[in-house]
Amino acid sequence: MAQVHEKTIKRADPPHAAVTGIVVYPMATVAKQFVKSLWRPSTILYPFGERLENEDFRKSVKVASGAPIGVGEIWDNYRGVHALNIKTCISCNLCAFSCPDTCIEMVPVDTGSGKTKKCPEIDYGKCSFCGFCSDACPEGCLTMTPGYTITTNRRGNMVYSPERLFEVYKGKLPQNPTSLAAPENEDVILLDQDLCIGCNACSRDCPTKCIRMIDIPKPEAKAGEKLPKRIWKEPSVNDSECVRCGTCISVCPRECLYWGARK
Amino acid sequence: MTHGLWNLRIKVDGELIVDADPEIGYLHRGIEKICEYRRYNEVVTLMDRTCYVAGIAWEQLYIMAAEGALGLSPPARAEYIRVLSQELQRLSSHIMWYAAYVQDIGLMTPFLYGMRDRDLILDLFQSYTGARMTYEFMRVGGVRNDVPVGFTDRCRKVMDWLDQRIPEYEKVCDNSTIFLDRTKGIGILKAKECLNDGITGPMLRAAGVARDIRRDRPYSVYPELDFDIALYDEPDCYGRYRVRMEEMKQSVRIVRQVLDWLDRNPGPVLAEKVPRFVGTPSPPPGKETYVERRGYPKGRGFSSMEEPHGEAMAYIINEGAEHPYRAKLRSPVFVNIAASKDYLVGYRVSDIPAIMGSVDVCVGESDR
Repeated sequence: MAQVHEKTIKRADPPHAAVTGIVVYPMATVAKQFVKSLWRPSTILYPFGERLENEDFRKSVKVASGAPIGVGEIWDNYRGVHALNIKTCISCNLCAFSCPDTCIEMVPVDTGSGKTKKCPEIDYGKCSFCGFCSDACPEGCLTMTPGYTITTNRRGNMVYSPERLFEVYKGKLPQNPTSLAAPENEDVILLDQDLCIGCNACSRDCPTKCIRMIDIPKPEAKAGEKLPKRIWKEPSVNDSECVRCGTCISVCPRECLYWGARK
Repeated sequence: MTHGLWNLRIKVDGELIVDADPEIGYLHRGIEKICEYRRYNEVVTLMDRTCYVAGIAWEQLYIMAAEGALGLSPPARAEYIRVLSQELQRLSSHIMWYAAYVQDIGLMTPFLYGMRDRDLILDLFQSYTGARMTYEFMRVGGVRNDVPVGFTDRCRKVMDWLDQRIPEYEKVCDNSTIFLDRTKGIGILKAKECLNDGITGPMLRAAGVARDIRRDRPYSVYPELDFDIALYDEPDCYGRYRVRMEEMKQSVRIVRQVLDWLDRNPGPVLAEKVPRFVGTPSPPPGKETYVERRGYPKGRGFSSMEEPHGEAMAYIINEGAEHPYRAKLRSPVFVNIAASKDYLVGYRVSDIPAIMGSVDVCVGESDR
C-alpha cells in the first residue's frame, strides 16, 4: 500500500519577513545607490581620480601651434557623428570628393525659399570616421562631434540625411573642425584660352560665385579663314575667394580649365 | 595571441610535436591592391586596419614611403610628434601583449593590470588624434594637428604611473612558478636560426642579436634621442618577455625626451609645400603628368621601421599618377609565423599557447 506522505507546510518566517526580504531591503539598496549616484560618478578612472579634474582646461582651448582642434577635454576631440550646418553649406562637393569610403552623397535640400541646394548625406554603415571630410570643408560647416550612439536595428537608419545632421549641429556638441589653413602656394585654376568657348558653365556652377565672365575683344577674321564659333567671353577666377573644389573643371564641356601654379 | 583568425596544423607523436604548418589568409583584405586606387593621404585609413594594435606605426610607415616617393619632408615638430606616437603605440601594444599572453598562460591578474593601464595610453591618443584605435593622424608632409595645450603634462603623469607599474608587472610574473615553468626553456630559437628565417623584433633581440632599426637604419628623429636596445641572451619565451618589458622602459624614456623637446619648440606640424589635398581631380592638359604639374618628382619611396612586432617595410612606386603605381608592405609577423615549425618541433602540445603567444601574432598585419 502506497504510503501517503503528508506535506506539512510550515512557514519558517512570519509573513511580514517576506515583505521585508523581497521588497524593503532591495528597495532600500536601490534608493541608497540612486542617492549615491546623484553626486558620484559610477566609474572613476582609477589612478588619477576623477577625469573632470581641470575645469579651466576645457576653457583654455588652444593648440601649441595656434590652430584649434576642437576643445580640450579628451572626449571632446573624439571623432564621432558629423554635425552639418545646412545654412552655411555652399554645396562645393569637397566632402564627398575627399571621402575615402564613398559614404557621402550630395542630395538636394529645400532651402525654404522654394530653391534647393545639394548637401551631404552620410551613410554611417560605410563611414570609417577618418575626418577627411571635415578637414576638407572650406566653410567649416561639416564638423565631427563626440556623439557615438548611432546603433540601430535597421540598416536604413544608418543613413543620415542633411536634415538629421543639422539636428546634431543644433545639439551644440563640442566640434572637431581642424580647419587646416590653405597653404600659400596652393594650385589655382588656369584657363587654356584657345579651347574656351565662353559657355558660362563654370561661372554658373561655381559654389562661391568667384568666377566672372569677362568680355574679350573679337579678333578680325583673316582672309579665307573663319572665326571659331564661340561667345567672346572667358572666365576670370578670383583666387582669394576660390575654395579649390574643382567644380568648374568637372563641368567644363571643352576641358579647358586645369590645375596649375599661377606665374 | 589572436585566436580564431589563423590555423596551426601540427603533426604529433604522442604529446610531442613533429611538424607544424601555419595557415593564414583568413583576414586577407587586399590592402596593397586597394592602395593603388586611393590617393596618398587616403590610404591612412587602411593602414590603421592593417595592424589593429599598432595602427599608428603602420600609418607612419606608409606615409614615410609616400614622402620618399613624392620628395617631401615634414617639419621637425611633426617628426617629434610622430616619434611620440610611435613610442606610446609601442607601450600600448606591449601592454596588450602582456595582458593577453600572461592570461593565456594562466594568470588572470596581469590581464586586468594591462588592460587598465593600456586605457590610459588610449586616452592620451584620443586627446590629440581624436580616436582610440583607428587614429588617421599622419598626413603626407606632417601630421593632422598639433598636440593640445596641457597634453605634455598629462602624458608625463601617465609615464610616471607606468614607471611604477612596469616593475610590478615583472614582479607578478617573475614570482609566479607557473609562469616560469611554462616559459623558461620553451620555444628556443637560437640566433643563427633566427637570422636564417628572417625573424625580427623582440624574438631576435631575445636571442642576443642587437638589431634595432631605430639605431641601425635610423628614421625620423631617433638619432637625436637617447635610448638603449633591449637585449637578452636566452632565446626562449621567457627571454622574449624580458625583452618586451625592457623595451617598455626604454619607450618611457624616449617619450620623456620627446615631451621635453615639444615643450621647448613650438612650430608648424605640416610642411608648407604640401597642398591641402595631395591629389585633386584634374583632367590632363597636354602631356605632363599629375605629379609634374604639382611640382613633385616621379620616384620610388622605401621606408623601414621598428614596429612593436618587428621590422616593417614599405615600398611605393610613384609613376606620376595621383595614387601609387604599386605599394608593397613587409610584415614582420608574417615572417615570424612562417618560421613556426623551427621553434615548435620538439615541444609538447600544451606548450603551443606559450610559444605562439610569445611571438606576438597580429593576423591583421600578416594577412594584410
